[in-house]
Amino acid sequence: MKKKKICMVGDFSVGKTSLTQTFVNNVFSDKYLTTIGVKIDTAIIGDTKLIVWDVAGRDSLSPINSSYLVGAAGIVLVGDGTRENTIDDLSIIWDTVKNRIGEVPVVVALNKADLYDWSVSDQSYTFFSEQGWDVFSTSAKDGRNVEEMFQALVEKITN
Amino acid sequence: MEERRLQQQINEQLFKKLQLAYFCVDKSMRVTCFSKNLRNYGYDSVLVGAEIEEHVDFMIGLDAQTELDLPMVESPSGTPVAVSLLPSSGELTVLISDASGHAEQRQLLQQKANENELLLEQQHKLMGQLSLASKELESKNQQLEEASRLQTSFISGVSHEFRTPLTSIIGYTNLVKEDLLLVSESEPEVKASAQQNSEHLRAVQRSSKHLLSLVENLLDHGKLDSNEIFIRPKSTDLAELFDDVALLLKPLSDSKNIEFKLDIELTNSFMAVMDDSRLRQCLINLVGNAIKFTDQGSVTLTARLADESLTISVADTGLGISPENLKKIRLPFWQAADTGKAGTGLGLTITERIIELMGGDLDISSELGKGTCVSFEVPAPMLLETPIGECSTVSGSKVLLAEDDADIADLVAMMMSEAGVDVTHVENGALAIEALRDQPFDLVLMDINMPVMTGYEALEKLQESKNKTPVVILSASSIEADRAKAESLGCFDYLVKPVDIGDIFQIMNRVVDQESL
Repeated sequence: MKKKKICMVGDFSVGKTSLTQTFVNNVFSDKYLTTIGVKIDTAIIGDTKLIVWDVAGRDSLSPINSSYLVGAAGIVLVGDGTRENTIDDLSIIWDTVKNRIGEVPVVVALNKADLYDWSVSDQSYTFFSEQGWDVFSTSAKDGRNVEEMFQALVEKITN
Repeated sequence: MEERRLQQQINEQLFKKLQLAYFCVDKSMRVTCFSKNLRNYGYDSVLVGAEIEEHVDFMIGLDAQTELDLPMVESPSGTPVAVSLLPSSGELTVLISDASGHAEQRQLLQQKANENELLLEQQHKLMGQLSLASKELESKNQQLEEASRLQTSFISGVSHEFRTPLTSIIGYTNLVKEDLLLVSESEPEVKASAQQNSEHLRAVQRSSKHLLSLVENLLDHGKLDSNEIFIRPKSTDLAELFDDVALLLKPLSDSKNIEFKLDIELTNSFMAVMDDSRLRQCLINLVGNAIKFTDQGSVTLTARLADESLTISVADTGLGISPENLKKIRLPFWQAADTGKAGTGLGLTITERIIELMGGDLDISSELGKGTCVSFEVPAPMLLETPIGECSTVSGSKVLLAEDDADIADLVAMMMSEAGVDVTHVENGALAIEALRDQPFDLVLMDINMPVMTGYEALEKLQESKNKTPVVILSASSIEADRAKAESLGCFDYLVKPVDIGDIFQIMNRVVDQESL
């Protein structure tokens, strides 16, 4: 079985851990617990064993530690659909990724789609589309588009 | 070989002392050696010769040349570890150390910092929403203010249109009535017809005045809403004011066979500094209401002037007001459904607000079936100096009247001529300027809305030419902004139509007195 490392990256509290847990263990918790360093989980999609690196979120004081990205075959850029700044920050995060490991397959997860105050601008969608990235409105809480998002990334990686 | 084994043993002991675990891989990423304590972190399936990617997940995607530090990686045992990849001579040594102490500390700090930042973000977002809502409210408020301004402007426009013809109707009715009084001295047949006509004219006058008061009530209500009513205190003869009110309303009480009693005690002086027209308006409203809602018995107007304070009460023996209605009576446009009496329902609201503006409070007490008593107390400072104009005379004065409404112009001219005033009439501001250039006048009476040149424009021209002749504006507009505009252009006084000829004479006396100083 092929093994592929992917990294979940994005600002803090956008739901990277929740998306991973929903996908890997099918569990969701409302309680916010910040990730320190990196947590590694595995999941199987088809004949690929996915090693999911849930990387600590970027905040105003500390950028993403790019060492965690080395060896990744794909990236999930995660933003919070109710916090516009976290979506704007995805381009900065992408620059960090690109500088460290070069161009790799990417999918975008705009998380918390179950909440009412969705605030993703048209410019953001345009930017993602220009990059050729697939965009998923996900909800770790109700599971919508979570599996589809990981599936899409695996397809991009294996193709 | 022996040397290598020895080196390994030394390393083992050293790493154990430093609480380090390790493994080594060759170029093909197969395990060449590892420490036994590796299993403490959950890496318990590592074997010499095995492919590292099969047993250690964080090694996936990496090669033997990678030099890397991975701080705080969660190991299979759950313990956070620090991982260091050290390539050397084609081999890779991977050191693993316990980072749980550091991670725990970092977790606490980071959690707090992130939660605080989330709160700040939330606060920022709420402030944004609040600011947006505030802007929306502000814009709606502006729209409402604009609507209110348009409404006031509309009402004032309508009242202006009503006032001008009403001035003519009331004035001319007065003149005809006076003529009829002279006729009544002649033959009995003519006298009877004159009396009948006089009755008819009284009815015309009553209706005109009623219409005027309705229009004024509507206008006042609009102005109160936009805080445009001002109290203008001036020397006021209270005795005369009460007599006026009695004279005005007595016919109304007589027509209903109600007794109208005046109980006035004005100690020291009758003269006080008050807004006589607003006080008169309040008294007419209150006494008028009392008569309106009294079908038998009496209405008593009581006034006491003492210690620079005027106390008024109006008591009637009328229908009275139920406690339930007493709560609603001060609301604008409210009228009791069961009385069958007509009106706008604004009189009491306006009266109450004017009394408040004069510094008093309106008190209403009532008992159903027995009657009502309304009372208030307002400041009434005494006038110490002799009222201006008492000894002056207007006869022989020269007045220029600029008025485009021929009926009003004839009426004013006729009444002033009777008092011996020499009146020159022109139809617009431009002709007034011309007339003032040709000859001197003691006073100019000027309308505002006139063709060719308005009163405002004429005032401006006079100011420019430094003409000192006092100009009194006779306007149908009682809007404060119009008065302020005229005053800023240097008018001597501003009278609102229908104008009392006595007010004009009083102003003329003031002008004469000022000139003689």
